[in-house]
Amino acid sequence: MDTAIRLREITKRFGDVTAVDAVSLEVPAGCIYGFIGPNGSGKTTTLRMIMRILLPDHGRVEVLGDDGTAAARDRVGYLPEERGLYKKMTVRRLLRYYGRLKGRRAAEVDRSIGEWLKAMGLADWADRRIDALSKGMAQKVQFMAAVVAEPDLAILDEPFTGLDPVNADVLKDAMLDLKRRGTTVVLSTHDMNVAERMCDRIFMIFRGRKVLDGTLAEIQAAYGADTIRVRTEAGRQALAGLPGIESVNDYGNMQEVRIQGDPQRLLQQLSSRTSVTYFEVTRPSLQDIFVRIARPGPEHASPPTGGRA
Amino acid sequence: MNLSKVGLVASSEFQLAVRTKAFVIGLLLMPVLMGGIMFLQRRAMDQVDTEARVFAVVDRSGKLFAPLERAAAEYNAAAASGKGGPSFVPVTVDAGSRSAEQIRVELSGRVMSRELFAFVEIGESILASDGSAEGSFGYYSNHPTYTLLPRWIEGAVTRIVQAERFRMAGVDPVVVSKLVRPVKAVERGLFVRDETGKLKQADTVDAIRTLAVPAGLMFLLLVSVMTATPQLMTTVLEEKMSRISEVMLGSLSPFEFMLGKLVGASGVTLVFAGTYLGGAMAVAVTQGFGDIITARLVIWFVVFLCLAVLLFGSFYGAIGAACSDLKDAQSLMTPVVIIIIIPIATWMTVARAPDSLFAVAVSLFPPATPFLMLLRLFLHPAPPAWQVGLSLVLTSATALGFVWAAGKIFRTGLLMQGKGASFRDLAKWIRAR
Repeated sequence: MDTAIRLREITKRFGDVTAVDAVSLEVPAGCIYGFIGPNGSGKTTTLRMIMRILLPDHGRVEVLGDDGTAAARDRVGYLPEERGLYKKMTVRRLLRYYGRLKGRRAAEVDRSIGEWLKAMGLADWADRRIDALSKGMAQKVQFMAAVVAEPDLAILDEPFTGLDPVNADVLKDAMLDLKRRGTTVVLSTHDMNVAERMCDRIFMIFRGRKVLDGTLAEIQAAYGADTIRVRTEAGRQALAGLPGIESVNDYGNMQEVRIQGDPQRLLQQLSSRTSVTYFEVTRPSLQDIFVRIARPGPEHASPPTGGRA
Repeated sequence: MNLSKVGLVASSEFQLAVRTKAFVIGLLLMPVLMGGIMFLQRRAMDQVDTEARVFAVVDRSGKLFAPLERAAAEYNAAAASGKGGPSFVPVTVDAGSRSAEQIRVELSGRVMSRELFAFVEIGESILASDGSAEGSFGYYSNHPTYTLLPRWIEGAVTRIVQAERFRMAGVDPVVVSKLVRPVKAVERGLFVRDETGKLKQADTVDAIRTLAVPAGLMFLLLVSVMTATPQLMTTVLEEKMSRISEVMLGSLSPFEFMLGKLVGASGVTLVFAGTYLGGAMAVAVTQGFGDIITARLVIWFVVFLCLAVLLFGSFYGAIGAACSDLKDAQSLMTPVVIIIIIPIATWMTVARAPDSLFAVAVSLFPPATPFLMLLRLFLHPAPPAWQVGLSLVLTSATALGFVWAAGKIFRTGLLMQGKGASFRDLAKWIRAR
């Protein structure tokens, strides 16, 4: 099977609000697919429709080649944005319960539990109750609950929330391991660095509509090389009033500038004003593209065409 | 529908519920505590209240004090040797030349100063045997809620007066008691012929078999269902607020989830009711009523218990799914409270005339059926088979409808956060695709 998820013109309304508006998407099997979008843009509703927790008002959802609910319920693992664990169960009992609800036999689930507990460094905590775990440990248990049944598709909504860098690394390795085993991973995240580094393809939804869909390179190419990273002695003041500057993102020691026109001309103008210590012409980061789309102002244009929706 | 997933949810629900300390305490310690309290109350009444109750007797007939004193001595001897309690000490009052008014004021003063507990004033003509006798005597006390002493004096004086009147009329009291012995109706069922054509002796009707057992069963069912099913509302609400339900709905349908929870709740209710039924059985055996709890009775009890759990459990589950906190849930619980009043308010009427139109109608109303049809099944005359069958069909259909509707409310309600839902919202969610 080449396609893990196929969405065709799906729409979901809640009263007068259209949460998801005619979204189409194809997620290839075996990749890590990033889902990004600001809060309230329709991301979770889309994920819930893929999980068949919600049904679309219009359009069609096909998961692992099945447009019914069986595949979504038995072959898809789901880690929701907000954690759902039975606090009074032990780790092992909870994982066994969640794993068996996916239709797996007890022996298979127990074997998988052993492997995952070891991989996540929680083997000594197997028989402790969930309410005895730290937040980071509980987060790892939630992740294990999503993958313990060895799903073909794992939908992970903000899996790194609440994890320290060490545990985040453990989880990242676990996700890459899933990919190596052939599991398709849908990764919903607000962390653009994670999306840039981990995802093979990225989908962005904004106000219920698809606004980006492609590889990072395709998306960046569509936005052109209009971004300059510059470090000067005068800082942001040096950029004031220069022609062709569309926006300035000030990081204090460095400024990220979006321009229209020739970068060389900007360099000349800056050099005449102050001492330039760093000047790089680059493509916009995913973070920058996200902000351009999600925070439209007078200086922010609509998404350009190509490499996206 | 995936029955193995339903079973997994049911098993988990059951284990989570019965392994809690609250369940074990509620199940086992509650009867022990209640029994202990009743025992202590009984003992306390007998043991603590051992104070002598001294009361003055103004006997204007001049013939009652001595026998009353003897009766009190007998009562006190019995109390001291066995059952305990207070002793009664009558003291006579010599009227002398004082007026009745003076005596009353003086004795009232002695009662107020706690020298006496009460005083009794017996009229002159109380023993008259020509019908002109006074029908009462006065008992005066500042302890109106203490009834033990006045009731005892009343009984003792009545017996003494009756014996004295018979004696004065020249009638032997023993002969009189034989002549006025009441004639009792022995209630029996109808005669029937057995397989051999022989007339079968009709069974004696007794209150325990005819009414106490059916009513006790009905109330046991009511208490069990009302103890276990509201838990569903709490657990569903907790799962909703801690987002567990979202994970669950990723693995099974809302209907399967709801049904699993209901089956689990049925198990919990069965354990609860079974324990009490077992206790009742043990008591029945020790009291010589070992035959009253039959297999037929247990089977019908289990059938109606499961139906009642499905009906009320789905309702409570749906409320839990629709609300965001317990306060919201209170307002939606009103219909359950109204429905549960029906069997409580009508069971006596149904018991008096189990085959009346009212009894038939109310026992076929599905939410009341599990309680009232169970009651009717063990009353005489028993309901005809078609009524039992119809009640099962109607209640099962209603229960399935409730579970289906609750599943629909689950799907929408479990993902809704923030404000609680109204009945209008619930209706909209049920109609939603």
